[in-house]
Amino acid sequence: MTVSFAVNGREVQIACDPGRTLLEVLREELSLTGAKDGCGGEGECGACTVLLDGEPVNACLVLVGQVEGRRVETIEGLAPPGGELHPIQRAFVEAGAVQCGYCTPGAVLAARALLSREPDPSEEQIREALAGNLCRCTGYAKMVDAVRRAARELGREA
Amino acid sequence: MKPELGTVGRSEPRKDAREKVTGAARYVADLEAEGALWAAVLRSPHHSARIVSLGTERARRAPEVVAVVTSADVPGQKRYAAILADQPALAVDVVRHKGEPVALLVARTREAARSALGLLEVEYQELPAVLDPVAALEPGAPPVHENGNLLTRYQFTTGDPDAAFAGAEVVLEETFRVQRVAPGALEPEACLARWEGDGSLTLWVSSQKPFEDRRNVAAVLGLPEERVRIVSAVVGGAFGGKEDSGVAVLAGLAAWAARGTVRVVNDRWESFLAHPKRHPAVVRYRLAALRDGTILGVDVLGHLDKGAYASYGPAVAGIFTESLTGAYRIPAVRVDTRLAYTHAPFSGAMRGFGGPQAHFAVESMVDMLAARLELDPLEVRRRNAVRPGDRHYTGVPLDSSARSMERILAELERARKRLRLREAGPGRRAGVGVSLAVQSMGLGAHVPDDSTARLEWLPDGRVVILAGSPDLGQGLAVATEQLAAEALGLPAARVFTAPLDTRRSPDGGVTCASRMTYLTGNALRAAAARLEARLLEGAAELAGREVAELRYQAGEVLLPDGRRLAAGAVASRLAERGARLAAEAVASFAYPPERTPQEYPVGIPHVLHVFCGQVARVEVDPELGTVEVTDVVAVHDVGKAVNPAAVEGQIEGGVAQGLGYALSEDMPLKASGEWVDGFAEYLLPTARDVPRIECVLLEEAEASGPWGAKGVGEMGVAPTAPAVANAIFDAVGVRLTRLPASPEAILSSPGGPPPGERPR
Repeated sequence: MTVSFAVNGREVQIACDPGRTLLEVLREELSLTGAKDGCGGEGECGACTVLLDGEPVNACLVLVGQVEGRRVETIEGLAPPGGELHPIQRAFVEAGAVQCGYCTPGAVLAARALLSREPDPSEEQIREALAGNLCRCTGYAKMVDAVRRAARELGREA
Repeated sequence: MKPELGTVGRSEPRKDAREKVTGAARYVADLEAEGALWAAVLRSPHHSARIVSLGTERARRAPEVVAVVTSADVPGQKRYAAILADQPALAVDVVRHKGEPVALLVARTREAARSALGLLEVEYQELPAVLDPVAALEPGAPPVHENGNLLTRYQFTTGDPDAAFAGAEVVLEETFRVQRVAPGALEPEACLARWEGDGSLTLWVSSQKPFEDRRNVAAVLGLPEERVRIVSAVVGGAFGGKEDSGVAVLAGLAAWAARGTVRVVNDRWESFLAHPKRHPAVVRYRLAALRDGTILGVDVLGHLDKGAYASYGPAVAGIFTESLTGAYRIPAVRVDTRLAYTHAPFSGAMRGFGGPQAHFAVESMVDMLAARLELDPLEVRRRNAVRPGDRHYTGVPLDSSARSMERILAELERARKRLRLREAGPGRRAGVGVSLAVQSMGLGAHVPDDSTARLEWLPDGRVVILAGSPDLGQGLAVATEQLAAEALGLPAARVFTAPLDTRRSPDGGVTCASRMTYLTGNALRAAAARLEARLLEGAAELAGREVAELRYQAGEVLLPDGRRLAAGAVASRLAERGARLAAEAVASFAYPPERTPQEYPVGIPHVLHVFCGQVARVEVDPELGTVEVTDVVAVHDVGKAVNPAAVEGQIEGGVAQGLGYALSEDMPLKASGEWVDGFAEYLLPTARDVPRIECVLLEEAEASGPWGAKGVGEMGVAPTAPAVANAIFDAVGVRLTRLPASPEAILSSPGGPPPGERPR
């Protein structure tokens, strides 16, 4: 069957088994490999976090049939290729929140969902929002700093 | 007066950060490869079994299946090695742990490969298994390998332990047990392998040791090494788990059998069962002391659970053994370390490399000594801590390494005082614990322990580092770019790191053992001096001058007439003649005989050490047994911090791993008979579990290091778990003797008055 949905503002139609996961379709059909598999498709690590109608979801737990007519945002949609980084991305770079980077796309999108809902989050809210995104490198310290920094930056822009 | 440094000491941005935040970074599983096939691995369902028969015909005939490989098909050596060639690429006659690769199947899609695994027909005859390292060494234990279950034993005695115990005013004895934990890099092991038309093989790896992978793949395929090329993709974390050629060997076999391009991408459960773990340990520790807290001697019996294959076990056992005295001067030491094979998933390298196991024991013992004598735990540490001029019990002088100990103790005191002021939340009890730790750097004596790096000046004016050891995500690239830039007087923005390719890059050795900043930095410093000399020679020739008339300054050559010649322009002119403006150098850890006792086995002793200490504050709910770590202060002497933000990142990440070790991570055998093998049950700390971590960097310059730098990769982990355990004792009087400190363990542990009654 064919599934139609919007990815990063672009309408796509994918002919595929509706039982495939959104993660597989993004990575294999659309070459959007920013979303990662870290736990074997069990929804435990958050490395495949994407935004579905603005809400963070584990793409490995979403069947592509479920996204018919909906809006998917992946890390590739956050900044134009070669262009200026989104303030959250810039904050991750500047705060030193990126080490191996495997969890980074998911964490950036989780932060985006948080900041669009809560522009001035407390540390507890930030940690809560990132709790579904496992990171083995950073101890989360600089990631929390990055989200705080991004909130300030976005607040200035608004 | 010291000259002002340029880039060393600044938190320069990492050049790979942009591609990582935009999703553009390509890890192995992301690499585009037209027509790539997929391999799936049939794995042992048994701890121990004989393979009676292995039928592949039905699988071979399945649509979409391209190739099936069993050990009978392996064209070269059947076994590969980290240290000892005991690990079969694919099981030979027997399986020795659940998850061991038995057969490899290549198909057009991942789904087809996985579903065709069901068509492989294996008949197993189950054999008795042993899963405990102490039981494995008892008479009559089921043998894991033909030569018995004792792989390595280290027995050393220094001083007179019998006299120490005879003269002691207090003797303590306790047995500590630490669990099996996984490195848990977020990127599971993966490899893309392409069989080339000329009968050579190219592999894209996520590995700590591409050059060792090349050796292992070549050996298993019966190819000369020069016909195997390894390229490093972006590595999604490693922590020791990728000091293992298993996935590269399988991918190489798959591509060879299919005569094509094949992906092997592990699922998380495969990572748990078939790649290195931190060795579980049982440590019986006896300690003799005087009433004033002076430690006279220790007597330690350690058992490390090797699991089924050697991997880096003998080397881990070496550092474990050396770490058993922690950061203390102990005049009489008797140690007996036994590394025992079991039928568990194999243990190997993991951050700290034997140190975390040993430190949990020694740092708990020192706290127990303080409690017994009603002394301040920090005071007992101060009384026994190493001082400059001391020797490690192996005989290695600790002169430069130990200089920071006074400062570490002072910082711990200050942090503890501050953290003790805060009261616990309602219904909870607060406690503050401390721990010291030492981590050795490098691979140890009598092992090649060097690193080669190459620098090249490009015509466009950029300098490229051809590093022979991969960046695992920790920031090796930015650190070495800063060191090379410093050496050449350039801004770090002009120095870049080329992707590691065994065809172009020199062999830098394995990225491990907290050794890269020091070694690669020293290699680059030497290479930069040679590069500068080559630049001057080239410029002299171009300008028709003598080299002695020219001077190098910040990427330019100053001519006697005041003109300046940019290095890029010289590189460009040389390139026109087919020459490169490049230089290479090697750096080693020095093991001079006067500092390196010679009587030890290979890999012992280590001569450079880093010292640190941590303070943890916890709040314990005495009814539920739950522990919240609210604060960690980490005081680390790293030598000169080349990139302070990256150094902090190493320490913060290490502390988080230490917290997992202390409180949540465990890979036990479940009641179902299966190992815990996924993140649903194996609990990595989340952003909610890790508190704010305060890093205090002490920068005692190491004279032999590049601009005083030492190492930082592993040291964050070891002190964390004992600091947390000591804080729990401080809070509720429960002395933990095993990790992790689960609520059940805390509620059921003997010792101390009931929590509600204990005075604070």
